[in-house]
Amino acid sequence: MKILSLAAAALLSAATAQAQSPAGCVQVEVHNVRPQQGQLMVAAYGDAESFGKTPLARMRVAAGEAVTTFELCDLSGSAVALTMFQDLDSDGKMNKNLLGMPTEPWGSSGTPGSMGPSWETGRVALDGKPIVVKLSQ
Amino acid sequence: MQRRHLLQAAAGAAAAAAAAPGFTKPARAADFAAAVATQPLLRPFQGVTDSSGDRDGAALIRGLWPEALRGRFYRNGPALYERAGERYHHWFDGDGMVQQFTLDGRGVQHRGRLVRTAKLQLEQKAGRFLMSALGTSIEGGPPGGGPDAFNVANTNALEHAGRVLALWEGGSAYGLNPADLSTQGPVTWRADLQQVPFSAHPKVDASGHLWNFGSSGAAVVAWHVDPQGQLVKVQVGESPYPGGMVHDMAVTPRYLVLPLPPVSLDFAKAVPEGPRHFAMKPGEPLRVLVVEKDDISRRRVFELPPEMVFHVGNAHETSDGRIVLSYIGAPDAWFLDRAAVALMSARAQPLGQVSLRTVTLDMKSGRATQQSLATEVEFPRMDPRRIGLPARWLVMGASWRATPGRSYALLHGVQMVDTQSGHTRRFDYGDHVVVEEHIVVPKPGKTGELDAWLLGTTYDARRQATVLNLLDAAHVEDGPIAQAVLPYMLPLGFHGNFTAA
Repeated sequence: MKILSLAAAALLSAATAQAQSPAGCVQVEVHNVRPQQGQLMVAAYGDAESFGKTPLARMRVAAGEAVTTFELCDLSGSAVALTMFQDLDSDGKMNKNLLGMPTEPWGSSGTPGSMGPSWETGRVALDGKPIVVKLSQ
Repeated sequence: MQRRHLLQAAAGAAAAAAAAPGFTKPARAADFAAAVATQPLLRPFQGVTDSSGDRDGAALIRGLWPEALRGRFYRNGPALYERAGERYHHWFDGDGMVQQFTLDGRGVQHRGRLVRTAKLQLEQKAGRFLMSALGTSIEGGPPGGGPDAFNVANTNALEHAGRVLALWEGGSAYGLNPADLSTQGPVTWRADLQQVPFSAHPKVDASGHLWNFGSSGAAVVAWHVDPQGQLVKVQVGESPYPGGMVHDMAVTPRYLVLPLPPVSLDFAKAVPEGPRHFAMKPGEPLRVLVVEKDDISRRRVFELPPEMVFHVGNAHETSDGRIVLSYIGAPDAWFLDRAAVALMSARAQPLGQVSLRTVTLDMKSGRATQQSLATEVEFPRMDPRRIGLPARWLVMGASWRATPGRSYALLHGVQMVDTQSGHTRRFDYGDHVVVEEHIVVPKPGKTGELDAWLLGTTYDARRQATVLNLLDAAHVEDGPIAQAVLPYMLPLGFHGNFTAA
């Protein structure tokens, strides 16, 4: 089932990539979405200095299927790092526990390691290809 | 998006067992299969699969099981070690399997179930490992959202207030239904306590109150759950050794007593190949954190000569303001770093130089004095009615003689230690047996410390079967008075507890 949905998403994203996204826009493909629960809170950063502080773009997207795709615009430059979390209860903020750990799924472009996303691990080329983000398990 | 929160998440995940990036390692499943041919005692480390991890069987009874001994004995331990040809490097990595032995006064029924953690379900679906474990880096999985993404629920099992808690050091307890061992999910107690570590070594005092701790980065968490399973209080304090490993805790009527060996669990460091390594930090002492149960900000930290500690025996208070703590200490992290890795590849290794120690902690002066009792012992347990109170006897698994070809990391006997005199009494199960933890079960209606049975499992390599043994605590040297032989072997596990029917 999951394989089928991944395959479908891959086909969809391939089709959209060929469909010439407008300038400054990119297709984003989010995996491990808890289906139909709340919204995805997305931020895109353009360089190390602004990472975590001043995003190039912000977006809220209703959580769709386990693989949710959307288009993110207002981007510039040659690289971008996306960070996001799934706001399951739609309260506009990331829930956290008594120790400050998030209790809602989060993710980043690139290869976020155990120390959370950073510009270095999150940056990917802004070259028209879709950007894939896996939300945490 | 707030990076701080992600970092805190990541730090928590790291403290638990986390996802440092690593590199693909060569599969070692075949290596184990080849090596175990010459180490038959290590056969249970083959582990189980998704299908063989669920077991139900009636035991063959030998001897006379007392009719008065009725209840459920639970054990837990790592059990699933391999997927898609990849084998974990470390004993502690395996997915947990809870064993339930039901004693009805006539026979013994066994039921074993893998704990259906979020991690297990994810990996079962994928057909391969996705999340990193304590000693093994795994690549290619999703980011861990917190400690429970790595939670293998594999260290201890305890029935409390009508549910079985499958416990692990770094994350939530998993709840299981005692009737069928089906997994209910993480026990979170309160919405803002999701993913907050609830250690594998809670202590239930004679009144049924459960005390536990959790350790995550710089935080130490203290838990109090009442006999009905309701959360009474949770407190967060600062660790005197941030990022350090804390495995076990003792309780007294007034205090929680936590040994903090100078061993960091640094999961942020990449492991290019092979197992993750652990070591004591040179120049750092063994700290013992003593906090008041009512307000953990009121505390004292004792510094002792450097030692590695997994398990405590007991603690009690004296009338002149001292605390007497017993624990198993080792001069280095040998077992964590080497022996527990060697077992997974069926290589014989020494247990390491472990000793039972008692330490007297003077709460007024801050001074501590130490005494060494027995050597080559592990898994200390005691009379559950005397937890936190003065108790004379500790029961332990033990290894006191070398047998050629045998991995000395395996225990072959059960030993009782008189903590007042230092004298020991013991029983040797023999060369063909691996001894697991034995617990103390009081005889109904009796109050004396030795008015009790010892209940514990062994692996019998001749039969290739797991055996449940019952000994009389007053006559441990006579060996089992009754045995229940399962028609199969179970993976060698860690800890367990008995609930009277």
